[in-house]
Amino acid sequence: MPLSIRYILLFVCAFILLIFSFSYSLIAWSSFPLDLSHISAYLFNFDSQSIEQQILATTRIPRLLVAILIGTNLAVAGVLMQGLTRNPLASPSILGINSGAACFMALASIGVNVLGEVSSLVSASVGGLISGALVIFLGGFFSARSNPLKLILAGIAINALLIGITRAAIILADDRAYSVITWLSGSLASMDWQQWQQLWPTSLIGLAIAIYVAKNLNLLALGNEVATSLGINISFTRFLSCMAIILLTASSVAVVGPIGFVGLIVPHIARGLVSNNYLLLLPISALLGSCLIVWADALSRGIAFPAETPVGVITALIGAPFFVFLSIRNKAL
Amino acid sequence: MSRLKLTSLLLILLLISVGSLFIGASTLSGQQIIDTLLHSGEYDFIVNQYRLPRLLLAIGVGAGLGLSGSLIQGVIRNPLASPDLMGISAGAGLAATSLLVFYAAAPVYLLLLTALSGGLIAATIILFIAYKTKPTPIRLALIGIAISTFLSSGIDFLIIVNPVEMNTAMVWLTGSLWGRNWTQVPIIWATLAVVLPFAFWLAWRLDVMGLGEDCATSLGIRPSRLQLIALLTAVILASISVAVAGTIAFIGLLAPHLARMLFGHDHKYLIPASALLGALMLIIADTLARGLQPPLELPAGVLTSLIGAPYFIFLLQRYKAW
Repeated sequence: MPLSIRYILLFVCAFILLIFSFSYSLIAWSSFPLDLSHISAYLFNFDSQSIEQQILATTRIPRLLVAILIGTNLAVAGVLMQGLTRNPLASPSILGINSGAACFMALASIGVNVLGEVSSLVSASVGGLISGALVIFLGGFFSARSNPLKLILAGIAINALLIGITRAAIILADDRAYSVITWLSGSLASMDWQQWQQLWPTSLIGLAIAIYVAKNLNLLALGNEVATSLGINISFTRFLSCMAIILLTASSVAVVGPIGFVGLIVPHIARGLVSNNYLLLLPISALLGSCLIVWADALSRGIAFPAETPVGVITALIGAPFFVFLSIRNKAL
Repeated sequence: MSRLKLTSLLLILLLISVGSLFIGASTLSGQQIIDTLLHSGEYDFIVNQYRLPRLLLAIGVGAGLGLSGSLIQGVIRNPLASPDLMGISAGAGLAATSLLVFYAAAPVYLLLLTALSGGLIAATIILFIAYKTKPTPIRLALIGIAISTFLSSGIDFLIIVNPVEMNTAMVWLTGSLWGRNWTQVPIIWATLAVVLPFAFWLAWRLDVMGLGEDCATSLGIRPSRLQLIALLTAVILASISVAVAGTIAFIGLLAPHLARMLFGHDHKYLIPASALLGALMLIIADTLARGLQPPLELPAGVLTSLIGAPYFIFLLQRYKAW
């Protein structure tokens, strides 16, 4: 499919917005006054004696990079889930994958034996996988008359259950309740290069798989029969998409905690901008998702400056009304 | 038959209430507890100042939530409606939290009024949406949950931005009876005393409403006024409960369902039965919350959601009108 002028313009606009947001997020709301000259100095002739440049290098840059990647991950996971379930309300947070990963991480951190042995990423992936599978099964996705709303409500119920278990586990284990509440709302406050190292390899694999399945998802959208007759292995495509979703979501939750609603909002906006073609939908969602998280993160620092608000609270405050709007408007449900 | 069941429910409630006085961080014998109840003494603080008010609160709050749920389900005729799934609890919680954050020394009546207005605003919003879009029962539940998510992330936000004491925060987030004392007991019981006669007045009228609006009108009932009164009663009960104990999930949904399983659809029995069952559930949850691993306290709301969420899934599996 040839890229028309419109799409090229769109991508250029998105990129300009992106660069603008990144630099704003780098300098805004700092206890030390920073400005653009510090960024250019950091990029082109780094001076390790300057306090401003050290702040940029040790806290701001890794935080920005993590925010970009988290936004990309969650938005792409949302696109894949909505494509896979053909349900406009599906997203990692609503179908319980976020809270499953968070629950298993909490259980692992309080030392439930089996989980204590493995790394946080593995336990988050296992948790996300189990809760996602549970929601899909209980939501009757495979039954003959599957209803999209049933899937969503099953997801919400499983969410409530898992959040209950997570809170109980934390309180029974020790009294770090405040830090846990901050983590459970999803926070970018304490990012450094170590988290970035933990995040990027799995995200890269997940994103690569997502791009690989994009073309097959386009054909899958035509219906199972058509897709099969065009030579698509449906169950393999589904399996790969699920793998990508789990990898992307679990790695994000393992690093910053569950951030909701990004995977719900962004694909809808992206679908309004470009058509249903996944080859365009995935990159534009990735751009918009990282923009959203970067802005939400800047807001989370600014809204009660100098205190930090968890970024997940900001996305929930933006996302929940959007969810109401979608569930009212969408008559097809 | 129904009377017999109601009486035995009351007896079970009494039995469990007495039992819950025994459970907690320090073990007391029956003799010691009776002595303390009659003429205070050494264990006065543990029994009279701690466990007893907490028990009375659990009964009051549980009954309030159960009652509120049965009224809402009776009026809206939606098996998935309940004060917490419709955002009323979260609205009251958000209003009360913001009052406590910005004006910590607020007198009790102000807290109650604020919680009440928060609950009313949330209820108005969701009923307005329901009136405008005429949603199916299941979609109404979805919209309610979304609104409640929004309001509770507002609570999260307020608490994290203005770190109040952690116990206050936990109370508003998950609902707990920890740290409550005698000052809250008269509030919830007075509300129940005022509202219960109303609920009984509503009972047969709600039954008639079940026959359809035309039929109800011809039997001398004004449907819109009746719906308004019933919803107002339900919102008052739910908001006051939240003002006392925070947002305790799922009792308002579960208690009426259990009551309907036991007593059928007659509101004359359904209303007292949901109140009793709600009280029973909250006592059990609260006793478990402090008895599971003393001296640690779990919020009772965590336990109710551990029971409630699977039941909600069960309801979804059974719900046929997809």
